[in-house]
Amino acid sequence: MTPWRERLERAALAPITGTSRAYYVWVGFLLAVIGWGIYAYSRQLQDGLVVTGMRDRISWGLYITTFVFFIGISHAGTLISAILRVSQARWRTPITRMAEFITLVSLICGALFVIIDLGRPDRVLNVIRYGRWQSPIIWDVLAITTYITASTAYLFLPMIPDLALFRDRLAGRASGWRMRIYNLLSVRWHGTTAQWRLMGAAITTAMILIIPIAVSVHTVVSWIFAMTLREPWNSTIFGAFFVAGAIFSGVAMLIVVMAILRKVYHLEEYITEKHFVYLGYLLAAMSLIMIYGNISEYLTTGYKMSEGTEFQFRQLFLGQFAGFYWFYFLGGLVLPGLLILLPWTRNVWGVVAASVLVVAAMWVERYFIVVSGFRVPLLSYEPSTYAPTWVELSVMAAGFALFALLITLFVKVFPIIAIWEVAEDEESLAIAPAARGFAHGAAPEPAGGGAR
Amino acid sequence: MKSIVAKVLVVSIALGVAVFALAGTAGASHVKVDVSVPSEVTVGGPTAVQVRLSSADEGLPVANAAVTLYASESFGQVTSDVELGQVVTDQNGVAVVRFHPLSAGDHQIRVQYVLPGDSEPEVTTASVTLPGITTQLYQSSAGVQIPGLNVWLLIAVVAAVWAILLSVAVRVIAIAHAGSDEAPRAGLAGGR
Repeated sequence: MTPWRERLERAALAPITGTSRAYYVWVGFLLAVIGWGIYAYSRQLQDGLVVTGMRDRISWGLYITTFVFFIGISHAGTLISAILRVSQARWRTPITRMAEFITLVSLICGALFVIIDLGRPDRVLNVIRYGRWQSPIIWDVLAITTYITASTAYLFLPMIPDLALFRDRLAGRASGWRMRIYNLLSVRWHGTTAQWRLMGAAITTAMILIIPIAVSVHTVVSWIFAMTLREPWNSTIFGAFFVAGAIFSGVAMLIVVMAILRKVYHLEEYITEKHFVYLGYLLAAMSLIMIYGNISEYLTTGYKMSEGTEFQFRQLFLGQFAGFYWFYFLGGLVLPGLLILLPWTRNVWGVVAASVLVVAAMWVERYFIVVSGFRVPLLSYEPSTYAPTWVELSVMAAGFALFALLITLFVKVFPIIAIWEVAEDEESLAIAPAARGFAHGAAPEPAGGGAR
Repeated sequence: MKSIVAKVLVVSIALGVAVFALAGTAGASHVKVDVSVPSEVTVGGPTAVQVRLSSADEGLPVANAAVTLYASESFGQVTSDVELGQVVTDQNGVAVVRFHPLSAGDHQIRVQYVLPGDSEPEVTTASVTLPGITTQLYQSSAGVQIPGLNVWLLIAVVAAVWAILLSVAVRVIAIAHAGSDEAPRAGLAGGR
């Protein structure tokens, strides 16, 4: 084994073999936030949705906002990973595993918020008992369950050789339950030719399948809105707009998580500035698409200016939601694009700062889409108001804490980077050193990385 | 033995008469209530329940009494009384409540009436049986029917996607089988 390969394995195994005090403090903090959220939710279960700020006129609030946000960032992983894999972008290898983790975790958290929003969780089965194929709610349930299944498969398949490596390297060093997990999930992997062939075929199938599924998920989520008779949601581009927004927020979240894990687990050798800059380019491109989507959407509806649209424009651009909208547009679309495209901020910190802005802005965007849409009166009554209560804020905070906790725990059990793919990439670079990127000091190669 | 048979017979006849009387009419102490339900009722079709109020002693019609009909309905584990309609009796003491029953089976209709000058409602019940099975009654009249673009297409797409996912699962099993034929080779797990 080469020293480089040895370092790679050591880096991948480091989260499992060593646990710092800070880790326990972090987990304890997250558990405390989740515990408080569970208490708040128990109050909601006991007293009903009246403990939230939601009422009959504005009946969706923080919960649905956070649901859409999490489903959006689920595009971080699987879609990005699959697109980069399909396009044979060689630079993707150290980041795909994290991206796929984010997908699965955010889907779990997102799905929870739909149940929380129900008020009566026992009635979730009514979707199956009384659901109709013609309902977008059923399409949503189908799309999300399919996406969770496909994402799990897509996360698991490329992880098999690495799990087998953990099984072999950690034999006698890891706890019994961990070894049982590795033994079970490595599915008797010994790296035979037949196994590589079968795994390659399975990954190819999954990566091609996952792209349309991922697109369908956020399209269908948008249809929950667009197929409801509400003036601000009467849009033909909602599906495409939501998918673009999902990729946008997904890439941003991936960059943030990548930066944190890189720092905490000292992965600078594998996750280099190149990865941040390339993902930054993708982020900048998506910000331009989002700006285009905003202009296209609001210019066409504003030109016709129906009564409801006028109300919506006034509250969105000048009134109650103006602060949210302009933060989203200027702080979440324009500024991140500038941070990435201007050469003196096109570095790790510049890209991470842009990503943090995008993540915050995309949550805000979902908030004003949901709440302002409900606020436009359907009849000649006074517009209602919505203000989240401590219960909603606590449950939402618990949702984000759960997201962080699941990633933290995943990293402590499963390989954080795709060892065999990174090694394969390095070997191919060793054969063709001219193709090496600026990870080792040269100028950055074009996004996509060229042919393998 | 004969006396026992005779007693049972008398009690049975008395019970039968009582049941028959109760089934046809119901009433409070001073008002007689006759509820007429059509013999043939169809799910989703128009139905009229006629309620006639008359004084119990003289049989005179009770006019201007508010009659409200309720039926017990269940949806999504929630059972509740649904108001079918409210009508005031005419000069003949008759109130006709029209509604569209939405589900098949036996239904208990609660008849609640408030006499003129009274504030306390009085209640009686009537039963109606709707033959057949409950079906989706709402049929959208709007829309454009495009041949082939329907629920079955959606089911076919979902089934195809899950079939492909199943094929991936089968490949994982095949990987495990391929591994079981090989003796474990330490250190080779992750390498080609």
